Amino acid sequence: MRPSLCRNRRAGDRAGSRPIPSTVGRLLPLALGLLSAAPVARAAELPALWAERVKCVVAVEYVTETEIERRPTVSMGTVIDSDGTIILPSGAVDPRAATWQLKDFKVYLPGDANSTPGQYLGQDAFTGWHFVRAEETVRARLTPVTAFVGQNAPRVPALADFVWGIGLRNKDEDFTPYIMQSHLALIQSLPQRTGIAQQEVAAPGLPVFARDGALVGLAASAFGQSYLQFSRNIRGAPVLLINVEESSAFILAEEMLPHLGRIPKNVSGRPLAWLGAYGLEPMDRDVAKFLNLSTQSGAVVSEVLEGSPAEKAGLKARDIILALDGKPLPQLKPDRAVVTYVEREIDGRAPGETLALTVLRGTDRIELKAVFGEEPKLIREAGRKYFERLGFTAREFVYGDAVERRVKTAEPSGVIAHFVKPNSPVAVAGLRQEDWIREIDGVEAKTFAGAVAKLAEIERDETRPEFVLLVSRGGETAVLRVKLK
Amino acid sequence: MVILVGLPVRAASTSRGFRQLLDAVVRIDVREVGFEAGARRYSASIGSGVILSADGVVLTNAHVASPRAVDINITLANLERVGAKLVGWDHWTDLAVLRVDLAEVKRRGLTFAHAGFGDSAKLSPGQEVFAVGTPHGLTRTVTRGIISNNNRYFQDTRGVNGYETGAFNTWLQTDAAINPGNSGGPLVTGDGKVIGISSRGYLGANNLGFAIPSATAKVVLERLLRDGKIVRSYVGLVPGALQDLENFYSLALNTGVLINSVDPGSPAAKAGLRGGDIVLAIDGVKVDGRFPEQLPPIQNRIASQPVGAALKFTVKRGADTRDYSVVTEMLESRVGEEWALEKWGLSARKVSRAYARENQLEDATGVVVIGVQPGFPADVAGLSRGDIIRKINQLPVTSLDVIKGAQAAYEANPEPTLLEAQRNRRVSLYILKP
Repeated sequence: MRPSLCRNRRAGDRAGSRPIPSTVGRLLPLALGLLSAAPVARAAELPALWAERVKCVVAVEYVTETEIERRPTVSMGTVIDSDGTIILPSGAVDPRAATWQLKDFKVYLPGDANSTPGQYLGQDAFTGWHFVRAEETVRARLTPVTAFVGQNAPRVPALADFVWGIGLRNKDEDFTPYIMQSHLALIQSLPQRTGIAQQEVAAPGLPVFARDGALVGLAASAFGQSYLQFSRNIRGAPVLLINVEESSAFILAEEMLPHLGRIPKNVSGRPLAWLGAYGLEPMDRDVAKFLNLSTQSGAVVSEVLEGSPAEKAGLKARDIILALDGKPLPQLKPDRAVVTYVEREIDGRAPGETLALTVLRGTDRIELKAVFGEEPKLIREAGRKYFERLGFTAREFVYGDAVERRVKTAEPSGVIAHFVKPNSPVAVAGLRQEDWIREIDGVEAKTFAGAVAKLAEIERDETRPEFVLLVSRGGETAVLRVKLK
Repeated sequence: MVILVGLPVRAASTSRGFRQLLDAVVRIDVREVGFEAGARRYSASIGSGVILSADGVVLTNAHVASPRAVDINITLANLERVGAKLVGWDHWTDLAVLRVDLAEVKRRGLTFAHAGFGDSAKLSPGQEVFAVGTPHGLTRTVTRGIISNNNRYFQDTRGVNGYETGAFNTWLQTDAAINPGNSGGPLVTGDGKVIGISSRGYLGANNLGFAIPSATAKVVLERLLRDGKIVRSYVGLVPGALQDLENFYSLALNTGVLINSVDPGSPAAKAGLRGGDIVLAIDGVKVDGRFPEQLPPIQNRIASQPVGAALKFTVKRGADTRDYSVVTEMLESRVGEEWALEKWGLSARKVSRAYARENQLEDATGVVVIGVQPGFPADVAGLSRGDIIRKINQLPVTSLDVIKGAQAAYEANPEPTLLEAQRNRRVSLYILKP
């Protein structure tokens, strides 16, 4: 067998879903002019403002329990209400991890070595935020970020405005808070309205403020910056550096505040709207012009997933989505942002809702109506069973696995090797993570339960010298002989 | 002091056959065209070869002389240089056949010797052999060694300049020094008989060289001379060795060959064969694929059937044994025909059936982008290596001619041209702009 790597893209998974909606951004030059003319906070007062606002940020630590290790993760979070609810950025949790693997959530107040337990509430698909709730005893010491919004509409900073935020040092320094300051350099629609400051202005996931202490946004993950690297051996090699601790980009408060109420009803984050248009690809302006889409954009549908609402609505592979509910797709910079725009339009809906799609097929404009379904079981929700002696975790074969392997989703069979323990009997036999196990000892693994029963029987039987797996990897199969003795 | 006198073995250098062999070994200079850079680029390389007939037939490696060669020159033993033409090549066995320009030879009054084949089946490990060739351009270098192994299994899906090799033959392994440039030169016995064609070696290792056995070379030579190409049958089975699995499959030792994998959409898949099946017999003749070294002959048996033949596979699955009829197709390389669309700075390779299957594409429509030239329209549009262009101006790219035609139209009348391309599974649109 020629070994070839299994691909990694998980079509059914939500790893890529990004936060925040798109309320229409309104510039308010007059109001801003008035505000900046008013006798607001001076630089000298910043320490006082800072001391107040440090109370709306926390560090959250949790452990991901895997088959053989406990992996700690620390993320920064913002307190959003008086119930001690905290939002963490979407990247705070590995999308492959099952929620039952996430354990021992702890909430640390800045500068305090002691922690209190927290409760994980789940992830919201639309904003991407993970929600955690702090325990009651500590809530009195927290201030929700909404306390700094003021009476009027959320503040939109003007170009060159002074902005500042909070960073937290590492755990060994008790998450000591510190201040970061910058000026607004640019506002972009990505498609959320995003402020980009000249330098780092806050830790990702923490709020950004104006000089007078008004909330202006929530720091997003940092953009990469290009540098040239010079060393004894390398002459100016380009490298991309991403600061994971501090960010200069933040979504504006108007993109954040309307969605603070999206606290998941259960830890799975369900219900999740599902359309089933796979591989949306943006187009550049030249293509839009060629297709006579003068001021708008479109998104190419690479594939339509089998049995999905999109298929039922009559969407076809290679259709170009032009409008959603009659609203043409905007031309955004970079072109890629239009894909996020469409994904957010989908993620913000609920199963059962209807979406009108205008698509271009060849030269015809076609109107379709899709009714959102419920997202099929995700990889992180799939059943799993670890077999310690054999040395691997069998995972239920779910819709996303079928999509990834380009097989009919109607008749899924077999199990996936979700984890393979190094140097274990199956690892020595050649089993690798993400291998698709089709047969166990010559018997087809039709259901997850059946496969688990068969493997459990093998695991129990200590007299058994070996067993055989038929696995499929990258379209090729191989027979693996696993020696147990 | 005792002087030990050995048996009077005649040294190779004094054998008449060996001297004649030396006069039949040639250096081959090849200039070939490559398409990877978004343009035609030429490169030169040096290899070796051996003249096998009085009318100037030269045997060498497929990785020395391929259809990409635009210029082939041969340096004879007497250091005279003469032109040659490619007769045919076969990357599966890494062999190519050239013919010396006899008119030129006659006009200039040149002479050369020719060698003959020995029987590679009669070789045994430990036997002394010599490699003759042009390592690093050092013309007519003789190195000496032994047969280290006479039945080495070695298969490589990209082994001959990106083409597949080794599925249908085993190799001779020798410790006679084989360096870059030895490729295509003969491996010979002391009497000057060609028992192999030196082909490859492990770089960074000490004298682990490999040669195609003469038993394979003889057949390939004959068929390339007759037809200019070798047509093989394909069913889409990837065999695996059965060693240690006999108990599991309740098989007697030395019975059957394991099907490790079946190419999706292949004749074997259509017939219902699948991974984990055991082939007991093909057309009633028993097969034995217990060890990897036994697999190439089995593959060769299938490949040697006429294309379109219906083969009867007797297959054991679990406790059942039944026959499957598999109709063979013509074997194709994964690597399709290539071309450079220089106006666009775009190099393309036709998607072959094998490539489409390997990459789980719907069908063989399209060309793979194998290179773009920075600053040219394809690069500006955003195309990159690995993209598969499926449509051009809404026309399915069913052959290289479709895209060549589109470029010709663009050249005559430069207008924005719409491409539909696929990267992994994602479909994007691109505009080539004048």
